[in-house]
Amino acid sequence: MAVDRILKDDASEEKGERARMASFVGAIAITDLIKTTLGPKGMDKILQSTGRGHEVTVTNDGATILKSLHIDNPAAKVLIDISKVQDDEVGDGTTSVVVLAGELLREAEKLVAAKIHPMTIISGFRMAAECARNALLQRVVDNKENAEKFKSDLMKIAMTTLSSKILSQDKEHFAQLAVDAVMRLKGSTNLEAIQIIKKPGGSLKDSFLDEGFILDKKIGVGQPKRIENAKILVANTAMDTDKVKIYGARVRVDSMAKVAQIEAAEKEKMKEKVQKIIGHGINCFVNRQLIYNFPEELFADAGVLAIEHADFDGIERLALVTGGEIASTFDNPESACTIVLRGASHHVLDEAERSLHDALCVLSQTVNDTRVLLGGGWPEMVMAKEVDELARKTPGKKSHAIEAFSRALIAIPTIIADNAGLDSADLVAKLRAEHHKEGCNAGIDVITGSVGDMAELGISEAFKVKQAVLLSATEAAEMILRVDEIITCAPRRREDRM
Amino acid sequence: MAAVTAAQPRSSKTESYVDNKRKEDIRHANINAARAVADAVRTSLGPKGMDKMISTANGEVIITNDGATILNKMEVLQPAAKMLVELSKSQDAAAGDGTTTVVVIAGALLKQCLSLLSNGIHPTVISDSLHKASNKAVDVLTAMAVPLELSDRESLIKSASTSLNSKVVSQYSTLLAPLAVDSVLSVVDPEKPDLVDLRDIKIVKKLGGTVDDTELVKGLVFDKKASHAAGGPTRIENAKIAVIQFQISPPKTDIEQSIVVSDYTQMDRILKEERNYILGMIKKIKATGCNVLLIQKSILRDAVTDLSLHYLAKAKIMVIKDVERDDIEFITKTLNCLPIANIEHFRAEKLGHADLVEEVSLGDGKIVKVTGIKDMGRTTTVLVRGSNQLVIDEAERSLHDALCVVRCLVNKRFLIAGGGAPEIELSRQLGAWSKVLHGMEGYCVRSFAEALEVIPYTLAENAGLNPIAIVTELRNRHAQGEINAGINVRKGQITNILEENVVQPLLVSTSAITLATECVRMILKIDDIVNVR
Repeated sequence: MAVDRILKDDASEEKGERARMASFVGAIAITDLIKTTLGPKGMDKILQSTGRGHEVTVTNDGATILKSLHIDNPAAKVLIDISKVQDDEVGDGTTSVVVLAGELLREAEKLVAAKIHPMTIISGFRMAAECARNALLQRVVDNKENAEKFKSDLMKIAMTTLSSKILSQDKEHFAQLAVDAVMRLKGSTNLEAIQIIKKPGGSLKDSFLDEGFILDKKIGVGQPKRIENAKILVANTAMDTDKVKIYGARVRVDSMAKVAQIEAAEKEKMKEKVQKIIGHGINCFVNRQLIYNFPEELFADAGVLAIEHADFDGIERLALVTGGEIASTFDNPESACTIVLRGASHHVLDEAERSLHDALCVLSQTVNDTRVLLGGGWPEMVMAKEVDELARKTPGKKSHAIEAFSRALIAIPTIIADNAGLDSADLVAKLRAEHHKEGCNAGIDVITGSVGDMAELGISEAFKVKQAVLLSATEAAEMILRVDEIITCAPRRREDRM
Repeated sequence: MAAVTAAQPRSSKTESYVDNKRKEDIRHANINAARAVADAVRTSLGPKGMDKMISTANGEVIITNDGATILNKMEVLQPAAKMLVELSKSQDAAAGDGTTTVVVIAGALLKQCLSLLSNGIHPTVISDSLHKASNKAVDVLTAMAVPLELSDRESLIKSASTSLNSKVVSQYSTLLAPLAVDSVLSVVDPEKPDLVDLRDIKIVKKLGGTVDDTELVKGLVFDKKASHAAGGPTRIENAKIAVIQFQISPPKTDIEQSIVVSDYTQMDRILKEERNYILGMIKKIKATGCNVLLIQKSILRDAVTDLSLHYLAKAKIMVIKDVERDDIEFITKTLNCLPIANIEHFRAEKLGHADLVEEVSLGDGKIVKVTGIKDMGRTTTVLVRGSNQLVIDEAERSLHDALCVVRCLVNKRFLIAGGGAPEIELSRQLGAWSKVLHGMEGYCVRSFAEALEVIPYTLAENAGLNPIAIVTELRNRHAQGEINAGINVRKGQITNILEENVVQPLLVSTSAITLATECVRMILKIDDIVNVR
């Protein structure tokens, strides 16, 4: 080749059509991988770790699947990132956001093949997204004022979220758990105060919510096992011995008696330390480090409950819920609670925890933003209808893009129906017909396999989740569309460092 | 009107399942792997089930009949197969017995699912129906169960011996069953009658003798000999026992220290000081009237030295050293005393009292027994004997199962017949129920019912009977209303199994059904295996 190489060895460059093709292929492959997990009858995946131990995870949670994948395609990475962001922001809808972005790209691919400029597609998508958002805004229900109704909304949302998870059979039980837990937070979105403890054995139904705090620890020997009106000190201090930390420090003595004295002095120091701790007027002492026999006995003598080796998370959370580093009374635990999950195996428990976490995230978001939508493909149909109207009104090539957007939206109910083993073409067509009536509440009722009234069935979703899905999927699709060149940097070699 | 429209599409052809080839393959691969695991343990089910010999990577050999142990030692890699291993573990945690049963049921359910899938039924439909069927099954089982009083020691013993009958130690079930019942009943706290903590029952294994020599000790047993290097006492009556967590040896500080010896006389003085120091400690101990010392193992320094042992022997104090820190709680609970962490705190009120502490020769070793403890805590010790290590280990596992069975009965006071009777009854009732259900559901429930027949089938097969003849006759008898008819393996025929005293706790059966269903549903829902970091 006559042209000098611009890039370093091993670095590669893909341009124009090829680059766009690579992005589309990557993004659509990811979408196809994950789309079978969408909806209440979505399937699970086994994630088998290639690392040590070959650990196995069984999950239905989009974010969990995506973040564990080995990915080499840049566009696919973008999709994984939006799913992560969705997880951090609202906690649910992690699969939906990827599927919608993927479907948008699938439509865009066709448009690009029809020689429509990517920028035209992008501006069409933007208009469509804006219009879709407005359509949703018009139809939201806000029950902020009515506490009773709001609580039932929360229940519905929790049930809808959980119905696509492993907990679906006991969704009422868990929805109640999640709602109770979130109501205790009083509007704070700090889910750290809700602790989830997993204990294998029993069945999922035996899971329960405890109003308070549970440490998975044992209490020292001979100490009281139950304390009311506890005053708790949370500490991270060495309760074995105080050591001089200077290297090589040593004591020289000339008789055994003096050694014994030093030992006694050490004991005395420990005793003082314990006295100081007890002097704070506490009756419960939680330490992150070991508590050795001697101080343990001293605590036992003083009737103080001492817990050693508390895990870091537990300590932090305990400090949080009791309010402060040093001893506060335990009379304000309303924001704290612990959910104890029971289940057949670790796989079940891990998955249950993820599902519950999703529900808790959504609920805590909904407490702040109380707007609620119906579920079951209803919002997508509402948006699709409005977007279609817009397409008709818009002159020029953009209208193709807008139309494509509406098709991508409809893909979501289609996939939900497909996953449930239903005839998607038939159902979606029916649904569309229903939606042309004014104020319709129709969505896919997966259980009976027909079109049903979502308001009657009590299937609801949080507005915030849907909005986040719509906006981030559009943004991601836009970003990928804009790409016309992929430069892969040369991997750094080990020899380079030498 | 709405009901009609809702019911209609259910039976329409739209519910057929279309999926791509690859996903089908993965599901089949998963199911087959899981079934392979189930088949591996199938032959160990029931009183005439066979044992497995497992040789571990480091050359150790285990012979067992316990499903949970077999699966635990099998190094399975396939993810779905691993789930079955987990399943048996959770049955072990929930009920303690029936660990083989649960896996065999799961295997049979999977086999049925395979044929349902090939008929084009959607996995989620199967999964939902299984859930419904298992709920119904629990109802049926509960209806079959016979309530039980804890005072009814006979029934408790019966169910414990049913569990023991399938083990190597079955010929000793007349000894071990009452033992298990007595030990559980003795730790039941009257204030919290539903809670039994099996940690309050300590099992001490000692080689030598036969399983026949296994005994229940009302007190403590240490698998150690008393330290009598210096000729200390080995038998003490009216013992006052102290559990100490400090060391009777020359002082050692945490700061590094060194004693500077400059001449010969000084060395002499130091030796004397050391003696005086130890003597001083022992005097303090003696002053409280203590005559038995249990010394916790120390990592920092020697718990006792030859010198201190010598003085302790002179003071007629019996010493048991190297007690593990984990055991301290059990010991203090049993002796009703407090551990002492410092010589300054050595006071008479912290001591425990027992009528007799003595060292007993057993086989090739010695043990120390503490009996006649005053105000003894709610704990028990079982001393298991056996002619070789393999037998002892298996006896311990079997005893654990029996203890769990009794614990289940304390938790949930219902008994149910054994010998395949509940399974065949379930199968019959669910089969009848499936006929009133509509569409796919009915079909799946019927498969569930058929899958349950695997238990009596395998029982008969393992006992060398003709499984088909037995199962069909069993079905017949149940159809005639004999709900307690089951396979009597000893006689090789069908009898009323309740009269034969073959009973098991309800909790074991219900948890086996619910856990197996939960696991199968999970496997069904998987459509892909993704390799990740």
